[in-house]
Amino acid sequence: MTQPVLDISNLCVNYQTPKGTVQALRHIHLQVPPAKVVGLVGESGCGKSTLISAVIRLMAENAHVAAGKIRFMGLDMQGFSASELRGIRGRDISMVFQDPMTALNPVLTIGRQMVDIQYRDGLSRKKKRERAARMLERVGISDGLSRLDNYPHQFSGGMRQRITIAMALLVQPKLLIADEPTTALDATLEVQIIRLLKDLQTDFQCAILFISHHLNVIAELCDYVGVMYAGELVEKGTVRDIFHRPGHPYTRSLLECDPSVIEEPTRFLPTIPGDIPSLIDLPKGCIFQDRCAHVMTVCRKTPPPAVHLGDHHTAACHFLEE
Amino acid sequence: MEPLLEVDQLRVRFRTKGSVKALLEKDDDPFIDGVMGVSFTIHPGQTFGLVGESGSGKTTLARAVMGLVPVHSGAIRFNGKNLIGLNRGQIKPFRRDIAMMFQDPAGSLSPRLKIRSLLAEPFRIHNRMPDNLPDEIARLLKMVNLSPAMGDLYPHQLSGGQARRVGVARALALSPKLIIADEPTAGLDVSVQGEILNLMARLQDELGVSFLIITHNLAVVRHVSDHAAIMYLGRFLEQGPTQTVFHHMQHPYTQALLSAHASPDPDAVHHRIAIFGEIPSLFSRPRGCEFHTRCPRVRDVCRERFPKAADQEKAHQYFCHFPLSESLQ
Repeated sequence: MTQPVLDISNLCVNYQTPKGTVQALRHIHLQVPPAKVVGLVGESGCGKSTLISAVIRLMAENAHVAAGKIRFMGLDMQGFSASELRGIRGRDISMVFQDPMTALNPVLTIGRQMVDIQYRDGLSRKKKRERAARMLERVGISDGLSRLDNYPHQFSGGMRQRITIAMALLVQPKLLIADEPTTALDATLEVQIIRLLKDLQTDFQCAILFISHHLNVIAELCDYVGVMYAGELVEKGTVRDIFHRPGHPYTRSLLECDPSVIEEPTRFLPTIPGDIPSLIDLPKGCIFQDRCAHVMTVCRKTPPPAVHLGDHHTAACHFLEE
Repeated sequence: MEPLLEVDQLRVRFRTKGSVKALLEKDDDPFIDGVMGVSFTIHPGQTFGLVGESGSGKTTLARAVMGLVPVHSGAIRFNGKNLIGLNRGQIKPFRRDIAMMFQDPAGSLSPRLKIRSLLAEPFRIHNRMPDNLPDEIARLLKMVNLSPAMGDLYPHQLSGGQARRVGVARALALSPKLIIADEPTAGLDVSVQGEILNLMARLQDELGVSFLIITHNLAVVRHVSDHAAIMYLGRFLEQGPTQTVFHHMQHPYTQALLSAHASPDPDAVHHRIAIFGEIPSLFSRPRGCEFHTRCPRVRDVCRERFPKAADQEKAHQYFCHFPLSESLQ
């Protein structure tokens, strides 16, 4: 197998708080193969954002990696100095954020921002502007060269997100991390952005780690999917494994809750009752026990093993068989 | 049955520049239309779903019904009485009957007040202090499945779903007849979204309250509302019984909007109706049918004049020169 672009093994991240140690990520194993799109899905508080900040080594001050390794192109991220990391971020790894308005500087023209981001390349200013303009046209903003002189507020929400995607790809990264890039957009724009990301990914052949809480978007864009719950990766597999043959009860209830899959109109929708357990005082056994419909005594005693359901498909549950 | 709320040809305009500037720039119409000739009715105990992209005027319409923005023309009749032109004192009794659940639940709760005081606010404002306030507050909390002990918390101590439920409790405080819910599920996880919608459905069964739900989530509207309207640049392009609008839509915009939904099946073949670009700005409202700039079925006549309603009497109404039931030549 070819070397993965990103290889996360046994990653554990803790936050120190006055109330105790929050075990925000526990034993995460995840790989992003070259030129593939890996989706991470999970609800608020499941640790998606902590995972990204651990990958780019921009963690909060009270966070630390308690165990595990993150390898980028085979190199251990922990071993890099601060300046080496700055050389990787924004060149080999770039990011698209959730809110395009706050990701762009409102007092600078987008041309200035798109030229600035190429500061490492020894090109003339004119060349950089031309490259920026070409990139703008590539993401569907026509008349790129003159639009470079506009400020972020002169663009609509969907166009701003296109601009942040253009900026992220200008540096031709090996890994693009997209943190909920479509959450702030309407459905019609959401599908436009997904299509754009798909096209660009085929062109640029970069790997994408795509974070979302929206299952349908993940289904449409990703090759591999990881499902996170309360700091654990409870299930991972190819997109077809997850959506056609979900194993973990959490994945299954998550898919059932989506009102768009329920054909018959109903006034009462399925939910997952209960709340996420406290990550300071973790329950013994399975993390999903309190909300699981199939909970048994064993779930409350021992943590479930990772069960291999297929070539790429694993889920952590006591009631699955290989 | 008497309708609870009847909105007739409602128009809301906002001034874009002062009169002097308009005069200097020879602009004889320095206004934009937030809501343009919207008519609909809500019957008691019914849910009306309002769908549209950002900037289509959904929230402006809701605020106009609440009397929070001035209305240019048209009528809003609540229980047969026109609310337009009433002064502050005259409109106050109606405000008790129309409650609002705001879009951002955490933002609409004052961070300095405990949940208990937040729930007492509606009673205080309307001078309707119940004899036993603590009991009343406990009753409200229980109604939305929160424990009475929650009354001692501050808003930042609540999760998103809990804050939303406090919003529902506040809206229910004065036993309104109509609740306007602005994006009741935006920002919630799917597992919690169902809880809020089920709570609203249960309260409707128990109390007979009507809902006007504003959302851009079509799946939600399909399940919870009896009637649905599709809004675009301040107009209702199509409205009718939810099933009709979703399964026998006549407007190309409705079709495009419905087809724009991502599906949870990775192998699904999408028959997407491509609509290009984004919703135009209100400052440069397109001539003719506003949707012609993005419509896949556009013809010359669409750029010239706005279509007439197909049949004003029918429950299912749409504004299109070339509805989907007619094949294009």
